[in-house]
Formats: sequence, structure tokens, C-alpha cells
Amino acid sequence: MLELRPYLRLLLRRRGRLLLGIGLMLVTVLAAVGLLAVSGWLITATAVTAALWAAGNRVAFDVYVPGGAIRAFALTRTVARYFERVYNHDTVLRLLADLRSGVFAALTRLDVLAQPRLRDGLLLNRLTADIDALDNLYLRLLAPPLVALLASLAVALLLGWFLPASLLLTLPTLLILLLLTSLVCARHGYADSTRQMALGESLRLRLLEQFQGLAELIAYGALDRHRRWLVEEETDLLAGQRRLGRRLAGYNALVTLVIQTLSVAVLALALQAFQIGELSAALAVFMALAVLGLGEAFAALPAGFIHFGATCAAARRLTEQANRSEPQAVPTTTRLPRTAQLHAESLYFRYPAAETPVLDRVTLTLEPGQRLAISGRSGSGKSTFADLLAGLRRPDSGELLFGGCRVDQLPPDARRARIAYLTQRSDLFAASIADNLRIASSAADRDELWQALHCVDLADWATRLPDGLDTWIGEAGHRISGGQGRRLALARLLLRDPWLVILDEPFAGLDRATINTIGERLDGWLQQRSCIVFCHDTRGVPGLDRVMQLAAGRLHENRP
Amino acid sequence: MTDTSGAAVTDSARVWLHDKARAVRGWLLIATLAGLAGGWLIIAQAGVIASIVAAAISAGVNLDELLPWFAGLGGIIALRAALQWLQETAGLEAGLRVRRQTRAELLEHSARLGPVRLSAYHSAELAGQLLEHSEALHGYFARFMPQMVLAAAIPLSILLVVARLDWLAAVFLLASAPLIPLFMSLIGMGAERLNRRQFETLARLAGTFLDRVRGLATLQLFGHAERSIDEVARAADDYRRRSMRTLRVAFLSSAVLEFFAAVAIATVAIYIGFALLGFIEFGPAPQLTLFSGLFILLLAPEFFQPLRNLAQHYHDRAAALAAGDILLDLLRQPAAATPITTSNAHTAVRLTGVSVSHPGRGRVLGPLSLDIAAGQFVVIDGPSGAGKSTLLQLVAGFVSPDDGHCHRPDSFAWLDQRPFLLHGSVADNLRLAAATATDDALYAALREVGLTDWLERQPRGLATPIDERGSGISGGQAQRLALARVFLSAAPLVLLDEPSAHLDAHSEAHVLRSLQALAAQGRTLLVASHHAAVHELADRRIQLDAGQLIEGHGGHA
Repeated sequence: MLELRPYLRLLLRRRGRLLLGIGLMLVTVLAAVGLLAVSGWLITATAVTAALWAAGNRVAFDVYVPGGAIRAFALTRTVARYFERVYNHDTVLRLLADLRSGVFAALTRLDVLAQPRLRDGLLLNRLTADIDALDNLYLRLLAPPLVALLASLAVALLLGWFLPASLLLTLPTLLILLLLTSLVCARHGYADSTRQMALGESLRLRLLEQFQGLAELIAYGALDRHRRWLVEEETDLLAGQRRLGRRLAGYNALVTLVIQTLSVAVLALALQAFQIGELSAALAVFMALAVLGLGEAFAALPAGFIHFGATCAAARRLTEQANRSEPQAVPTTTRLPRTAQLHAESLYFRYPAAETPVLDRVTLTLEPGQRLAISGRSGSGKSTFADLLAGLRRPDSGELLFGGCRVDQLPPDARRARIAYLTQRSDLFAASIADNLRIASSAADRDELWQALHCVDLADWATRLPDGLDTWIGEAGHRISGGQGRRLALARLLLRDPWLVILDEPFAGLDRATINTIGERLDGWLQQRSCIVFCHDTRGVPGLDRVMQLAAGRLHENRP
Repeated sequence: MTDTSGAAVTDSARVWLHDKARAVRGWLLIATLAGLAGGWLIIAQAGVIASIVAAAISAGVNLDELLPWFAGLGGIIALRAALQWLQETAGLEAGLRVRRQTRAELLEHSARLGPVRLSAYHSAELAGQLLEHSEALHGYFARFMPQMVLAAAIPLSILLVVARLDWLAAVFLLASAPLIPLFMSLIGMGAERLNRRQFETLARLAGTFLDRVRGLATLQLFGHAERSIDEVARAADDYRRRSMRTLRVAFLSSAVLEFFAAVAIATVAIYIGFALLGFIEFGPAPQLTLFSGLFILLLAPEFFQPLRNLAQHYHDRAAALAAGDILLDLLRQPAAATPITTSNAHTAVRLTGVSVSHPGRGRVLGPLSLDIAAGQFVVIDGPSGAGKSTLLQLVAGFVSPDDGHCHRPDSFAWLDQRPFLLHGSVADNLRLAAATATDDALYAALREVGLTDWLERQPRGLATPIDERGSGISGGQAQRLALARVFLSAAPLVLLDEPSAHLDAHSEAHVLRSLQALAAQGRTLLVASHHAAVHELADRRIQLDAGQLIEGHGGHA
């Protein structure tokens, strides 16, 4: 329950909209109650009047007021329902926008340490599923019980006004039903609905394994064994769904049972009052039918609350995700670097779960304008070292100074302006080529973009595209080849004016000829800048001053 | 996709859904009958309530004498609740069973498709589709199918009862009824289109969001993260505006249905009122009583309720059809037939006049014939696109030849560029190849690929967890772990597709040593590689060019 608090607070930012939406829902329910109850009143009243007329009593009866009321309720019900649906769906979609940007904003404040995990596709899928689960917080869990409560109070009080004794019957019954269909129902489904997500996730994993490993599973004759695991997990998942579904059916039946029985009880009570002359016949029927009309207010409650556990679990995971690591350190220095000298002193870094450090007392000095290549076998920690140098990770001990200032204490803007970093993975976005480039420099004009593309040998290709720079490259750049994506990421860097350039495997997936072309063109841009390149193969990097090797956490100078 | 082909696919999805329904006919029948009985009980309940009211008010019967009637009413209500439960749980059962059966069918079929055909799909997406689209079938069987019968049968039953009580009131109800199918179809068409579009835009929206989250580090490096928050918000808001436009239309058409229902109820109520007062001399009106009037009034909303429920469940149908389309697309992919014949002891692999073509690419391999003696280490070389991988896939049986025959041993081991790792421990991953292997055997296999040093550094040893991305171990280590499986399996034939690509020098050396060890065990190795070091180890080199065989000279064959 507590885990929902931040999301409820987010909802309440649109308090006005929520209240209006709930108001419209209430009007819809009350119009339905009114339509049924007044119709019953009219029929009974006319029957009684007709009997009196037959007996010779000339009492007056105005049929037009109730007739008008019936027509008004019929119209109100339709119109209110239409506007309620339009308005509330609009609200839900607005909340979805709030939630998405809120979660994203929380993620952007994260320490980068937490970010490598964000690349995991399964985790991302879960993130969207969790957000979807919270989208409907208002329409499934917040508004319906409130509407049921208000409608119950309104009807119970109205009936109590006609017949005070009925209040003792209707109010407690309706409140208990509300309690049963919300809180009790939520508790009843909590354990199973909380587990559903985890079960679904592990089934998804097994499916993924079967698809990705099909060749090996077939080759080793392990397909049937794997399939049995899969079926076991599915059985577990379906058993939980079955339990939840049966309970839900039970609560739905309970709503019918209680509302119908209450209506009959109210009828009995009211008819009794009629027979002792305390209540008119028409009002007696009115009261019974009003309770019957209330059923609609309770109908949607169990379906929302039986999955309450899943909603809470989604909220919990989302919050955890956003709080996984401490927020980015606030810069503590206002001093800015004056030179591009990089000095690492006895850097030590170990992943929490690992036994051996990635960097073990590494010391390195890079003078302004120098070009250094660091090679090492895969898994030796090159990318981690690059992250450290760029200030994306903090060393466990040791000091990293850039122009005499500690890199991790530089204001982020100052650090970004002076140090450019090409990460090992090309992060491309579902946008045009131009927009992907402009992430680096929103003010860049088209000439500058073309120039950057020329430098990475993509200009000819881009010229031939029908949409040129405006070509859409698809989600994560899936519509262009890996090599083109790599070069596009490199081109992005060229739009900046850094003092230090850190490149992690800049030429991965490129053929020799292209590497040579790019190397030559890059040379000019790299003049007057310091550069550290991490790669397997140092060929193609122009004008290297030094080559070093990273192995077992230590850095060695390569002697030619 | 054009509209016409879209309609055609939906047609076949409809047929497919009907076939699925046959398997759960029993449950659907129970759900329908329970719903029908519940509907008839509603009629009975309305009749009893009207009788009680008429007796108490018009006839002045004392409530005590009406006690049996109240008791009957209580029984009807209890039975109604029980039937409602039965209808819902029977529908649930039908939905659960269809989903389980569909998933089994899809799994079966995807295995039959084989890894090559399956590689046309993005595996994570496929897993998601299998899971979510089979879930999307639920509502159609659990709710929509029973409701389709109820939406016809219950209003008809009510109409018959009302007609017996007062045919004019029945005419009022009926007058709005012909409009209902019209609006239903309008809503239905709208809902289907809406659902499809909703699926698409929601997927695109999620894509934009995920894209930004995935690349967050880069956005921050360029100081662009703040601006991306706005972009995410703007994308979601665009989505809202676009979907509201369609939603408004959909809601309007259902509002019209509701409007007719409400007007019909109001008309019936006012007609009965006027008739009771004696203002209407026409037809059956003078015979109306409090009993028949109230009875009709109570039935009027129930006349429309099943139709409203059906309209509500219409999106279940649309979702199931959309999901069926996508699942059928997968199920219709022809499976790879594997006419593999077992080879004899001396010739491990024999290909006679085989050729392979891929749709859209034409012939990619052959026709060629090839004999590989048992125990040979054969390397396949050639430029990319020459058919190296296809040759291996053909021998494995993952693609079927257009012509010719393929003989190979029954069991074989397989490893390609991307090693496959299970979500489980190191031991789980190794035992994939040999379910009953002892720990000692596992250690021995790890020694062959040079992973013992690494394993000794892991506090949990063989129980060290490997997650599905192989995180925690490097790409080279993952490749060697997969290679260790080959040592555990007794397969006489080993098929390897570029086993040393993307590896650093250290891992590569280990892989080469392992290949040598496998050859020394007397296994037949067929390796696609253009790596000089691998070529040196091989007994024989086969050169492929544009799918044609140009036999090279082996090392020392």
C-alpha cells in the first residue's frame, strides 16, 4: 500500500481533473438509479391512482413531472456516460504521460553506475509493463471505490429520509460490501497477483532460451527437457491465474447476491411501512428499485482490487529501479581545469561481486596533445577504465585529475564540454540522422552535420538516401547497419570541441579500408586535443605517441 | 498492408479461433447454459417481485402471508449468484485451456521451424508475442463467445414474456432492437480498427521510451538528458491527442446504443403509467395492471443488458483477432523438413547433389557433392555470403535441400558465433549437453577449454549463476563455456560456425587448443572459418565461392 504513495502523489497533481471525472461517474450511476426508481414510482403511483379513480375518488395526478424526470434521467445517463468515458480516458492518457516522463526524469538523475543494467531488454520490458500497471491506478483502484461510497451514501440517505429505519439496513450493508469488494478482495488476491509478474518473467526467459538456443538444444537432444521446464513454469502461472479468476468470480457473484438481497429486504421493509400507513406505495417501490440500480456502482470493484498485489509490486519495482543507486554526486568544486593534462594516481576499482579488481593501482599521465592507445584482451576492463576516465564511474581509491581538478567533482557541464567519450556501444535513437547527430550539439547547422559525416566516410551514403539527413534510422538504429551506426556515433563526437577525446573500440565492425579512410580524416580533428583510444587492434589510429596494455588490472607500457 | 489483405488475414484468424473453440466446447457450453439459466432466473425474479408488490399494494395482502414468496425470491437470488459464478469460472477454464494449448502449438511449431527460419524473428520480441498474444486470446473465449449466444437468447426470451403481458410494450422494445445490430456492427468495426491502431501506437510509444532509457548514458554524456525528458513527455502527449480522436468516435457510437436503450426504457415506463391511468384506450393498454406493468418495467433494462455486455466484450474479440493474425503468421511458416539419413562408420558426412535456395535470394548453395571421412578436421573457407553457414545448417538439418541427399551421424554438436547460455548455473549450462554428467566430468570439460582458472576464482564454483545475457563473464569466456559442452557430448560430428570470430588473442588460443583436442578424440570437425590459425590445424580445406565447391588442399590429409 505504502509503495503506491509516490504514484498517488503524482496522480493528485491533477486533482481537479480526477474530481471532475469522479463527479461524472457519480452522475452516471445516480442517473441509472433515478431512471429505474422513478419509473417504478410512476407505475405504482398510476396504478394506485387508477384504483382510487375506479373507486370514485377524483384525486389529482400529475403525470408530466415524473414523466419529464424519467426522460431527463434517461438523457443524463447517456450524456454523462459519454462525457465520463471521454474525459476519464483523456485523464488516464495524461497520467500515462506524467508517469512516463516522471520515471524517465528519475532515471536521468541516477548515477551512471546503475545504468549499464538499463540496457537489458528484459528489464526494459518490465519497466514498461510496470508503468502500464500503474497507468490504470485511477480508473481501476481510486475512482470506483470512491464512486461506490458516494453513491451508496446518497442512496442510503435518500431512502433514510423517506423511511429512517431503512438507514440501519442499507448503510451498514453497503459499507460492508464496499469493504469486501475492495480491501478484503485485494488481500485475498494479494499473494497470487504479486507472484504473477515473477512467473510471467521466468516463463518469458525460458521462451527466450528456447528461441535463442534452438540450434544447440536440438543438437544436444535437450529440446524435450527444456520444454518440460517451460511447461512446469507455465502450469504454475496458469494455476495462479485460475485461483485469481475463481476468486474474482466469487466476488462478482457476491455483489449480485448482496445487492439483490438488499433490494428485496428494503422492499419488505418498505411494504411493511406502507401497510401501517407510514409510506406511500409508490415510494416503497421506488426504494427497492433504487437499491437495485446501485449494483452498477459495485460491479467493477472486484476486478480492479483482485490484482491489487500486482499493482503494488509494479510500484515497488519502479521505485526501486529509480532509487537503485545514490543520485549523482553534486560537484564540490567550482575550480575549472586550465590544461588538458590527465593524471591518474593509483586507481583501484573492483566490481562489488567480483573477486579480483579491474584496475589495481593504475598510474598514468597523459600530457596535453598526446595520443595514447590502450589495448587488452576482452574482459580485461578496458571499458570500465574508459568509464572511469570519463567520470562515469568513481574509483574505489586513487585519484583522477584533469587539469589539476578531480574529474568526479567537476560540474557535469564543464566535464562534458572538455571530455568527449565514445562508449563501446553506439547508442542510437529512434529519430532522424540529423536529430541523432544534434544530440551532441543542438545548434549544429547542416553544413557541420555533413562535415562530420564526411569525416566518418558516411557522407556519400547519406547523399544517396532519398531523405538525406532526415532519414529515420529506426529504434536503436536498427534500420542501418552496425558499422554505419558505429560511424554515426563517432560523427556525433566530432560536433563537439573537447580537450580530451576517449574512444572505446571506435572502429569495431569496420573493414580495413574504411578504418584507414576515417583514421586519416580524424587526424586533423584530433590535432590540439589529447586522445585515449581503447582497442584490440591499434592499427588505423593515426599518430599514436604511446601504446599501453591493460592486463590483470595493471597497465604496462608496450615496448616496440 | 492494404485493407483487403488485412481483411483476408482477419478472416483466417476468425476460422482459426473457431477451431480453437472446438477444443473447449464443453466449457463454453457450460458457460453459455449457466448464463442462459441466469437470464431466465432474472425473468422469474422480476415476476415474483411484481407479484409481491401487486399483492401487497393492490390486493392489500398482509406481508406475513407473502413470506413463501420472499423465500422463493431469496432462493432465486442465491441461484442466480451461483450461476453467475459458474458462468465466469467455466469461461475462465475455456480461456486458460485455449491459451495453454495455443502456446504448446506455437512452441512445437517454432521448434519445427528450426533455428534458421526462426532467426528471421527477433527472439525477445517473439517471446513477448508468444506470451502476450496468447494472453490476448483469453477474453474472446472466456467472455465474448458465451455472450454472443446470450445476447441473442436472453433479449428474445424477455421479448416473448413481455409480448404475452402486453404486446404494445414489446413493440416499443422491439422498435429499438433493429437499430442495435446496426450499431453493434458500427461499434465492432470501429473497435477492431481502434484496437489495431492502439496496439501499434502504444508499441511505438513504448519504443521511443525504451530507446531513450537504453541510451541514457549517451544522452547524459552530451548533456541532452534534460531535453529528453520533454521528448518523452511530448511523445506521450501526442499519443494521447491521437488516440482521443479515435476514442471519441468509438464512445459516441456506444453512447448512441445506450441512448436508444435509455429512451426505450423511459418510453415503456411512461406508456405503462399512462395506460394504468386509463389514458390509452388502444390495444392491450386497458388490461395492464400493477403486476404486469411492474414486471415489464423490471424486464426492460434486462432486455438491453446482454447487448451492452456484448458491446463491452467486443474489444476482447478485436484483441483476439489481432493476436490471431500475428500468431497465424508464425504458424503458417513452413517447417524445415529434414530428410537426413544416417551415415556409415567410414564416411561421417555425405552430400550428394544437394542445393539450397532461400526465398528472395535464390540458390545460395550447390548443387554440390561432398564426402567427409570420419575423424577428419575440415575447414570451410570462402568470402562472406559464399554459403559457408548454409552448408553447416544443411548438415545439421536446419535447412532442407531442394535437391539431393544428406547423410550424417545421428547426433552432432553445434556452436555458432553467438554462444547460447541458459539462465542458470555453470553446471546447468554444461549439463544441457549431457544431463547425467558428474561434477568431475564437468570440471574435465572446463579444463579442456581453459576455464578452470576462472572457475576457481568463483566462490560458488559450478553453481555460479550465469544470467541469460552471460553478464559477469566476457564474450570469450561465454564462447568457451559453450565449447565445453561439445566435450561433454559424445557426438561424433562437431559443427562450428566461426568459433573464433570476435575473440581476443587469449580466448582464441584456448579455442584453437580445444579444437585440436576434439580432433584428437577422433571426432569429425566441420568448421566454417577464415582464420589462418584454424586453417593450419585442419586436415582438409574446402573452399566455397558463390555456393560452389572449390576443393582446396588440406594441411596433411
